[in-house]
Amino acid sequence: MAKEKKLSAEPARSATCERPSTFAQFKTLLVKDLKQEFRTKDMVVSMGIYAVLVIVVYGVALSFAKPGAEFLEVSGGLLWALVVFTSLLGLNRSFSHESENGCMEGLLLAPLDRGAVFLAKMFSNLVFLLLVEVIAVPLFWLFFSSYATPADTAWLMVVPLLVGSIGIAGIGTLLSTITTRTRGKDVLLALLFVPVVFPLLYACVSATTAVLVGGDVVAETLRISLVLAAGYDVIMILASWILYEFVVSA
Amino acid sequence: MGKGKGKALKLPEVGQWPDKIFPIVAVVGIVLTTLGFLMAFFYVPPVAGAAVDGVELIGGMMVTNKLLISQKIFFFHMPVAIVSFVALGFACYYAVRFLMTREWRYDTCSCVAVEIALVFVIATMVTGEMWTRFEWGVWWTWEPRLTTYLVLMLIVIAYFVLRAAVDEPERRGVFSAVVAIIATIDVPICFAITRLIPSSIHPVVLREGGMSPEMGMCVGIIAVGMFCIGFALYRARFNQVRLTERVESLKESLED
Amino acid sequence: MALLKTSETEIASQAASAPGCAVSVRNLTKAFGTRKAVDRVSFDLPQGAFLSVFGPNGAGKTTLLRTLAKLTRPTEGSVFIDGIDALDEPDIAREHMGLISHNAMLYPDLTAEENLLFYARLYGVRDPEKRVIELLDAVGLKHRRLDLVRTFSRGMTQRVAIARALINDPSVVLLDEPYSGLDPHAMDVFDQLIESVRADRTFIMVSHDLEKGLSLCSHVLVMAKGRVVAFAPREELDAEEFRALYRSTVGMGVA
Repeated sequence: MAKEKKLSAEPARSATCERPSTFAQFKTLLVKDLKQEFRTKDMVVSMGIYAVLVIVVYGVALSFAKPGAEFLEVSGGLLWALVVFTSLLGLNRSFSHESENGCMEGLLLAPLDRGAVFLAKMFSNLVFLLLVEVIAVPLFWLFFSSYATPADTAWLMVVPLLVGSIGIAGIGTLLSTITTRTRGKDVLLALLFVPVVFPLLYACVSATTAVLVGGDVVAETLRISLVLAAGYDVIMILASWILYEFVVSA
Repeated sequence: MGKGKGKALKLPEVGQWPDKIFPIVAVVGIVLTTLGFLMAFFYVPPVAGAAVDGVELIGGMMVTNKLLISQKIFFFHMPVAIVSFVALGFACYYAVRFLMTREWRYDTCSCVAVEIALVFVIATMVTGEMWTRFEWGVWWTWEPRLTTYLVLMLIVIAYFVLRAAVDEPERRGVFSAVVAIIATIDVPICFAITRLIPSSIHPVVLREGGMSPEMGMCVGIIAVGMFCIGFALYRARFNQVRLTERVESLKESLED
Repeated sequence: MALLKTSETEIASQAASAPGCAVSVRNLTKAFGTRKAVDRVSFDLPQGAFLSVFGPNGAGKTTLLRTLAKLTRPTEGSVFIDGIDALDEPDIAREHMGLISHNAMLYPDLTAEENLLFYARLYGVRDPEKRVIELLDAVGLKHRRLDLVRTFSRGMTQRVAIARALINDPSVVLLDEPYSGLDPHAMDVFDQLIESVRADRTFIMVSHDLEKGLSLCSHVLVMAKGRVVAFAPREELDAEEFRALYRSTVGMGVA
């Protein structure tokens, strides 16, 4: 304990801190989340395993169906069911690190724009979700490639997946911030999350099915669906961003 | 539900002007809905084109004139649906006011408005269910309006589960206000998306057609009646909740 | 009784903060529904003071501290930190404050150094690396800086928590039950550390440990049912008499 003397010989108070920009704080928060995840691989591994298990269950569910071309009409929906359940699992865990040691309070003590907390959390959730999708979606097609061959436009599926994931990460971050501080958080998150993302899901399934089936209607359906999904993203993320301050400091 | 807007600075409280009129409004509401009910059956003729001689095949179903009585459901379905959405709108308005002022009264108002919305949403679902069953011959169809109302009902139920799952009053107020706002934003988007995206899987089962003047009048009367009933219910429930709160706070101050 | 009763109306009549006070609280009220957890609390603390807040469970001590730390917003009243209105300028007030609670607020899967660097960057500390090493050195954990916080004992974690609370060089440090979960040795180490970092900082501590609180403090505040029962400088009160009052307050829950 002999070393403490140094602290009393500190420079004047105002010289210690200089308020960083909101973007710098956002970056700090995001880097922290990514570093933590990189070290524990907590979320990505559990979400990845869960996604594979859902695919296995699909395998059982479809094993007596012998679907042909109709499979394409269903596969978009199946894929999104996979994404929704996997993201639910991830969102439930996304605040476990923050609540474990009261770290959320640590963040709130800092002179920090609450919007930056939301955006950082949303981005880290998005990154993890996309990482899992990069593994799970090709795997899905690998397992079910014998059923039907998707149309040439299938690669366009990337666009609805991206748009949908952004929306899920956005509204999911707001809702999971709410539910982590309630009793029965897991069920409550599902109960709030599924109806709220319903419209986004509907649009994304429509877009994904359109690119998988192909044909003349692709361009028209895809355009409407994507515009609507993007509109949902913009409105919901904006609303979440505004409301986040209230939620996080409650 | 129409109170408070003009004088936003005055907090809603038991015994203000809406309480003097709400019993009358309730009676008016009951009279109007009963009148509308009678009109729907005895005054408004069946929609043009829907009258059937004998037995005909519509949508794969044998339809007779008797079955077409089911279209009378519509006269209740639509007003109830409108009132439920208006109630949700008020819940959202009070939720915003609560977040801005942190005045507990607004939390109470918002919660009561969601309760009223729930009552009317359930009524909408029940009448909608009857409609799909008798008119379209199926128990459920993912038709845009039904879907939207299912989503709305789920969010409203989630709202009450959330309220029950938070103990700390301030947190409960903020969380439920946020969910009420999100629900109010989400529901129109849901309707727009399910409506605008062409569904390749389900045929559009909606029989489109304008309302005849008699029909419009009848729906209007029932809508006004339902509004009155909704308002009276809201006010009665608000008084009950508010008086309970006041008793609680009196108990608190007695303990001191 | 030698205790000074605070007259709420008298202090409340002064609108702004008293000059030269590190912390001024005016009529602070925090209501949860109909229940007032903190009820019209007012006091002034000079710079460098150490205030111990005592009171039975549910007296509103922790709520008072959380309101001071801007973790919850008060229903009424105002708080001045170094003359700054903490409700108008919450971010400036936050820059002047640190909180040590029974929660370490550290990420278990990051190292001690990474944790402190993260908080240093959030506060925008100049030359964060240097500051973090300095602080870790001060709490005697420089040699463990590359270890995960998960592997630390409770006492060590609490030492890192002190470093975390001091990262922005706060002028006001709040302590919320900092001893919970510490063994007697760790408590002594904690006391020494607090003593060593006092400088001209102002401390406000909530603790159930009467002896600890009395030994460190320069001022005493007793709360019951959200209200201030007594507020006095340490030297003005007789320890025995105070202990008797404390026992009766905590014992009966009523002052």
